[in-house]
Amino acid sequence: MSIEVKNLVKKFGDNTVIDNVSFKVNDKETLAIVGFSGSGKSTILKLICGLIPKDSGEIITSKGDIAMVFQYSALFDSLDVADNISFALRERKDLKKKYTEKQIKDIVAQKLELVGLKGIERLYPSELSGGMQKRVSFARAIVTEPNSILYDEPTSGLDPISSTLIENYIVRLKEETNAASIVVTHQMSTIQRTADRVVMLYNGKIVFEGTPEDMLKQDNPYTKQFVTASLEGPMKMTEREK
Amino acid sequence: MGILQKYYRQSATYKLYKGLSEIFYDFVDTLGKITENGLHVLRCIYKIDYKELIEQCSRFGVSSLPITLTIVGMTSVIVASQVALEMVKQGGGHFIGMMMTILIVREVAVIMSGFAIISMIGSSLASEIATMRVTEQIDAIKVLKVDPICHLFVPRVLSGIIMMPFVTIIAAAVGVIAGAVTSDLFAGLSYRAYFDSAWLGLYMKDLWVSLLKAVFFGGTIALISCSCGYYASGGAKGVGLATTKAVVWSFVAIVIWDMIFAIAFFF
Repeated sequence: MSIEVKNLVKKFGDNTVIDNVSFKVNDKETLAIVGFSGSGKSTILKLICGLIPKDSGEIITSKGDIAMVFQYSALFDSLDVADNISFALRERKDLKKKYTEKQIKDIVAQKLELVGLKGIERLYPSELSGGMQKRVSFARAIVTEPNSILYDEPTSGLDPISSTLIENYIVRLKEETNAASIVVTHQMSTIQRTADRVVMLYNGKIVFEGTPEDMLKQDNPYTKQFVTASLEGPMKMTEREK
Repeated sequence: MGILQKYYRQSATYKLYKGLSEIFYDFVDTLGKITENGLHVLRCIYKIDYKELIEQCSRFGVSSLPITLTIVGMTSVIVASQVALEMVKQGGGHFIGMMMTILIVREVAVIMSGFAIISMIGSSLASEIATMRVTEQIDAIKVLKVDPICHLFVPRVLSGIIMMPFVTIIAAAVGVIAGAVTSDLFAGLSYRAYFDSAWLGLYMKDLWVSLLKAVFFGGTIALISCSCGYYASGGAKGVGLATTKAVVWSFVAIVIWDMIFAIAFFF
């Protein structure tokens, strides 16, 4: 297996954001993590890739890189597309002297072709649309041939057609890289098109685990409320969010 | 007990205590982070990205030069215009060049350059790195397994260390010349008398202490600005707060450095 999370706990002050969460994601598998805003979905991704420290529990990942595609792409705005994608190849200690300039150029071109953006090497992030920025961030994430890819709301803020395009690339990247993928999302279309399994979080706890088809059966009150977007159900918005 | 505690928490004494303890905590926290980042920079200072270093040197030196020279030149004009005529009247005209040169080389050039660089470069470094923080670019650097402190801080701190002495030398030259022109215009002091006096009062020690100060000022401004930006949080407001903090801390830090140098070398 590529990613295994065991009894993970994360607190911010007195607030327990992740409360004893456990799940596994195998190679060539995509797990969707869904839930309300503030339910701890993005925190799980940050814990897995080591951006924030956990309070307790275990995160076991197989050898190799973990890549992350950020919600707002997080492209380096002072660098052009080619330099964004080749950033790790040029700056990382273990990769710095591994590739020649010609090889780096070829890798960048190949990754851009994979995400359908051939020939935009010299453009800057500010010259790209939201969907294109997302795809460039996909290319940057897979440049180190990672074993696991984490997507933080990859389709948020995009129009339905761009969302479908991004979802297709998530599936394509899984097939091309054989990576274990975790997709944090709110969108049903993303869940249905990309996920093999779904985990639903509420108040930092897992309240549902199953396939996207199981989610639609509506025999779980949490998934039923989520799918029907109802205000009535076991999940209550806090006073602050109303 | 609960009611007493409630009233105590509403009292001015408690609010004052809470406010002061927060300021103290923030001071210690910021100082600790700047020191930690400074040590981190020293550990990876040999990992130089020359392309980035040249870019930062250009930003630090060339971009800041016009405003720095304007400030130092105008300060010299202000001082010379107020002092020159009085000194000539009192029979001390032959000391004007000496006084102006010592003042400019030891203090005005380096400290005014420092202030100009803080306002122009320090604030821009802090807001640039703070924006990278709030837009998750720094997180992206970490996920790509690149050390963000080495990647972002080293070229900026080095550029401060390298460029600040150059800026100071040019500013000092402009300041001394501005003093000569002003003395001539306001007090009728000849250029020859001004520069003879200037050479008489100026020692090599004045120059190298000033350059050493510039090295410390440049490094400190860059380190503080990068550090304040690096720990920004919370969107546009966070970027603004980080920039303000960087400017205030840099101003205070270079005045403290200046005092340490004055005591260490001229006391």
